[in-house]
Formats: sequence, structure tokens, C-alpha cells
Amino acid sequence: MKEKKLKNIFINGAVSAQFIAESIQKHQHNTTIGAHSIFLGQVRADQIGEEKVAGINYTAYEEMALNKMYEIREAIFEKYPVICLHVHHSLGLVPAGEVCLFVFCSSVHRKAAMEACDELVERIKAELPIWGKEILTNAAHQWKENK
Amino acid sequence: MKVEILLFGRLTEIFGVTHLLLADVADTDAVRNRLEEQFPALKQVKYQVAADQLIIHGNKQLTDGMTVALMPPFSGG
Repeated sequence: MKEKKLKNIFINGAVSAQFIAESIQKHQHNTTIGAHSIFLGQVRADQIGEEKVAGINYTAYEEMALNKMYEIREAIFEKYPVICLHVHHSLGLVPAGEVCLFVFCSSVHRKAAMEACDELVERIKAELPIWGKEILTNAAHQWKENK
Repeated sequence: MKVEILLFGRLTEIFGVTHLLLADVADTDAVRNRLEEQFPALKQVKYQVAADQLIIHGNKQLTDGMTVALMPPFSGG
């Protein structure tokens, strides 16, 4: 049995555009890759009554999330001919307009990367024990729930 | 026998803490009952239970040192 190596997906605060650019750049040496599919989740400034969402504060059951993420990664690698998969999710406060989820799938041809990316995002939202507390402009808050 | 209870999301507001220890709870149903008795607001919240990181459907026997997590609906991403 191969060793189960957990990858940390968590980043403190927002995922910066620079971090995303550097991730893309790092893949340029791998010339078997012909397609990247990238999903970026961004915090919306939803209108809640008189107030707006100023940011989302994320917390997680980190240990369980990393184990679950390992399981999901294995399943996606099994199902699609992808070359690599990277997932980064924020913890702590992410202001509206900033990125809280970065999913990056690469493959030889586009279909595999796009389908794997789509399924990864769906599974991350449904299965990872992560909670977002929406902080409103008047400092009140409400707990987000994924649809 | 003791089990550690982990609380997440809105449950941390109901309990005012992120974890606590419970003694003499034989199974996950006993954990639910004990906590709902102490914190009646818990009855109004939808949550899943995980024992040692595995989500429980129904009831599960507990042994000393296990970790039980109470998890409201996820909202990552």
C-alpha cells in the first residue's frame, strides 16, 4: 500500500493573484500538459437587507478536511486522465472581491482538465467540513450554507 | 470513559466553546441527547455527527478517547 501523504490545502486569508500567477508559471516546465482548467471562488458582497457582506471568515475541521481531500483527489485521479490537481482554500477572513478557493487541474487534453475541475469544485463544496461566516457591513454576521 | 466533542460553525456560538469533554456516553445518540438537554438551542440546528472523522448515519458505539464532531451544513468555497 502506498503511503498516504496529506497535502495542506489551507491558506491563511485570501488567495492572492500573485500566488495564482506563480502556480501557473510553475507548470510551464511540464510540457506534457496541454490544458489547464482553473476555478476561482470569489467572495460576493451580497446584499442582506440594509447591509452587505463585507467578507467571509472561514473555519474548518482541518484534520478531517485534509483526509477527505486526499480521498477526493484519489478518486478524481482514478476517474480522469489528469496530470496534476491543486486545491487551495482560505481560512480566516477573506474580504469581498477576493479569492477564497483556487482549484487547478492540468491534463494533456482539455476535456479531462475541465471535467475533473468541475467535479472537484462540486465535491469540495459538498464534502469538505469548512464553514463560512458572512461578516456584514454593520459587523453583524450570519452563517453561510452551500446550496 | 471520556470522549472529546468538537463543535463547528454556528454551534460554537450556542456552546460558547469549540470543544468539550463528555464522560460516560455509550454512543453518539447519548452524546446528542446529553448535549440537547444541556443546550436546548441545539435542537433547532441541523447538524451531522462524525466519530473519529467518519460521518455517522444512525447511531454508533463509542469507546474511550474517541472524538465526536458536531457539524452544521458545510459552506466552503
